[in-house]
Amino acid sequence: MSTKVISLVSIGAHPSSGRARRAEQDARAVELGLQLAGDNLQVVHAGDPREEALRGYLGMGLDHLDVLEQPAGADVLGVLGDYLRDAGAQLVLAGSQAETGEGSGMLPFLLAEKLGWPLVVGLAEVESIENGTAQVLQALPRGQRRRLKVRLPLLATVDNAAPKPRQSAFGPARRGVLAARTAEVVDDPLLAKDALQPARPRPKRLKVIKAKSGADRMKAATAKASGGGGKVLKDVSAQEGAEAILKLLVEEGVLR
Amino acid sequence: MLNTLLPILLFTALALAVLGALRRVRMWRRGRPSKVDLLGGLLAMPRRYLVDLHHVVERDKYMSKTHVATAGGFVLSAVLAILVHGFGLHSKILGYALLVATVVMFSGALFVFKRRLNPPSRLSKGPWMRLPKSLLMFAASFFIATLPVAGILPEGTGGWVLVALLGIGVLWGVSELFFGMTWGGPMKHAFAGALHLAWHRRAERFGGGRSTGLKPLDLEDPNAPLGVEKPVDFTWNQLLGFDACVQCGKCEAMCPAFAAGQPLNPKKLIQDMVIGLAGGTDARFAGSPYPGKPIGEHGGHPHQPIVNGLVDAETLWSCTTCRACVEECPMMIEHVDAIVDMRRHLTLEKGATPNKGAEVLDNLIATDNPGGFAPGGRMNWAADLNLKLLSEVKTTEVLFWVGDGAFDMRNQRTLRAFVKVLKASGVDFAVLGLEERDSGDVARRLGDEATFQQLAKRNIQTLAKYQFQRIVTCDPHSFHVLKNEYGALGGEYQVQHHSTYIAELIAAGKLNLGQHKGGSVTYHDPCYLGRYNGEYQAPRDVLKALGIEVREMQRSGFRSRCCGGGGGAPITDIPGKQRIPDMRMDDIRETEAELVAVGCPQCTAMLEGVVEPRPQIKDLAELVADVLIEDEAPASAKSPAAKCEPAEVH
Repeated sequence: MSTKVISLVSIGAHPSSGRARRAEQDARAVELGLQLAGDNLQVVHAGDPREEALRGYLGMGLDHLDVLEQPAGADVLGVLGDYLRDAGAQLVLAGSQAETGEGSGMLPFLLAEKLGWPLVVGLAEVESIENGTAQVLQALPRGQRRRLKVRLPLLATVDNAAPKPRQSAFGPARRGVLAARTAEVVDDPLLAKDALQPARPRPKRLKVIKAKSGADRMKAATAKASGGGGKVLKDVSAQEGAEAILKLLVEEGVLR
Repeated sequence: MLNTLLPILLFTALALAVLGALRRVRMWRRGRPSKVDLLGGLLAMPRRYLVDLHHVVERDKYMSKTHVATAGGFVLSAVLAILVHGFGLHSKILGYALLVATVVMFSGALFVFKRRLNPPSRLSKGPWMRLPKSLLMFAASFFIATLPVAGILPEGTGGWVLVALLGIGVLWGVSELFFGMTWGGPMKHAFAGALHLAWHRRAERFGGGRSTGLKPLDLEDPNAPLGVEKPVDFTWNQLLGFDACVQCGKCEAMCPAFAAGQPLNPKKLIQDMVIGLAGGTDARFAGSPYPGKPIGEHGGHPHQPIVNGLVDAETLWSCTTCRACVEECPMMIEHVDAIVDMRRHLTLEKGATPNKGAEVLDNLIATDNPGGFAPGGRMNWAADLNLKLLSEVKTTEVLFWVGDGAFDMRNQRTLRAFVKVLKASGVDFAVLGLEERDSGDVARRLGDEATFQQLAKRNIQTLAKYQFQRIVTCDPHSFHVLKNEYGALGGEYQVQHHSTYIAELIAAGKLNLGQHKGGSVTYHDPCYLGRYNGEYQAPRDVLKALGIEVREMQRSGFRSRCCGGGGGAPITDIPGKQRIPDMRMDDIRETEAELVAVGCPQCTAMLEGVVEPRPQIKDLAELVADVLIEDEAPASAKSPAAKCEPAEVH
């Protein structure tokens, strides 16, 4: 299999100490990449090549890691897009959300939009890659999986449903090379005009369980979360379907 | 006729032995270099053999006397036989001396033979079953052949029949005892053992000394190997040490992992290292296998990786580093060093620390404690105790090293008890507070030398900022690491376990103690306090001061059985047939004690993990704090417990 696989990595932060480390989800992206491409996996980070935490990824058995030199606060979207296109990437893996910096989780979406590639979120497993099409399993809530066929090139994000990352070992981490590459720096206009503040956790909707018996409570606890409204469209034409979706999106305020 | 036959046989066997010795030496020299005083070691060897080694063998009186007679008789017979029969010095005195020597050897060999009639399972069989017969044959043949020399029998007695019989007897004897000694027979232990004693990697162990700290890896040199991958990655004197094994199985009999049915047998491990050093398979190993692993499926070569060829990784991760094998070994082989060396390769190069290993190491790197708790919570246990912080007072008499037990609710009771004792004694003490980090013990035993050194260096840096007389800790693992392993990285301190310190306080009359009122008590020696540091007495003195007469377990003191909590074993968690703490609890139950006194957070956790009903477990500090008679405000101590309201539980 000669599919070019690239994993995108960032600097993580330990949840209780805040100390820099390899990011949990990004490490899973590297793990999945190593399982798919072995030594041919290419790993890239946009940021500071002197950051020692990057060696955590090298310790997983990589001989080098490309670092596109970027100062803090730069917009890495364009740089990463160019890099991926120039490298001829077929499958790009990334964590869902960074543990440091903005951590908005938007990068994969913006990158896919910029490149014009399909995006799969919550990739759990790549089953096969044949004739420029990948058959993958996407993780859904409650342990469900959805089998998808997607044409390459493809961008996919992984979360905790992807395989656990292998241990990072000191020897390979020390030997591995952080290969710095100079890249164009684009300032992020968003940062210039707006200030960052930590997100407030969304208030949780209180769930009132009226169940009387244990079996009812069990049912309530395991039932699929379902919205009240919505309707099922069956046997409609593409045109009608698209109109229904568009109407919903406008109603929900996703599109204006 | 005998006068021509014997010299030929003797000198041929000797020449072949020399050849074999050179071949064996070349095998050892495949190992990495090691700094050893070659000449000084050789000169010290007889003393190490006759005194230090004899002390260990002497624990088994039967075997020690047998060995003295057999080995002493053999060495004397061999020298005299070479003089008398080899060089033909047919003097009557030499003849009589040789007769006496062979008789001594023969009588020793009879006891070896007797023990081999119904050998315990720890002994290797195979060629070892032949050895007593060879010894008897050697002694008998030379006895008879020497009778004419001493003038007891006339020359030429027995004619060619006797000559032929003696010829065969001598051939058998010298084949086993000269030739076999250097070509891998059972007698190899004498040849390799003598040199192993001379060039031992821990020469400090001789002459009553103690050397238990692991040796540091050189992490500065990027080309230095990170642990042992292949047999040739051991130092040459480690390889020599493996070759000295006499397969007596005393290690096997003491190993907690072996007894628990985990796939480790220290004796087999050392024999596997010998196979790795010479090349071949374990098919001819004639002792107990690793539990659950049949013999004959593993093999190795000096230049092939050890793990998953010669030895399975689980075998290495089963070890609790309790050092019972090292303590028992009459050849003073260093099993634990070898195991940690191989673990280092697995962790540092392969990233293959099993089960929770990787998570614990990641936590240590990111939070300085194995549980991954927020470092800011390290002093929560002492929120109401008003402890002095070294960062504020800068200088103190006693630095109380809290250890990672600070995050464990059970151990917090011990810590608070010890603080109560310290306060009652009126000594000037302080803690590092949030500046303290894990000592690095677990990281190091799991083979992560890099994380250990990082933690150690940062702790040493912190300690260098302050002035204190001594460090006292309730955790024998921190105690051992601070006392014996920080020195190589530049941190020399006077460190004491809290049992030693409390014993001192009691002796100095600084504690006003009542008498223990609970039931009978036994004491469990922690490995890292006892075998690692030789402290058996102080905890018993403390208990005695409380009016407790310790009901000793059969396995106590230097033979104490591990609780199963050392060496990262609870983290790597290799399955066996039973749990080590359950076995230890059975030892405790045998004494019918109602309470077991411990001195280690690991032991507390492991033993309290045994299902009830079982004896209660209390740390020494708790026992002392319970009977402490405090003069000031005796009433206030009891009131807060009554007012306590239930806390909100989430």
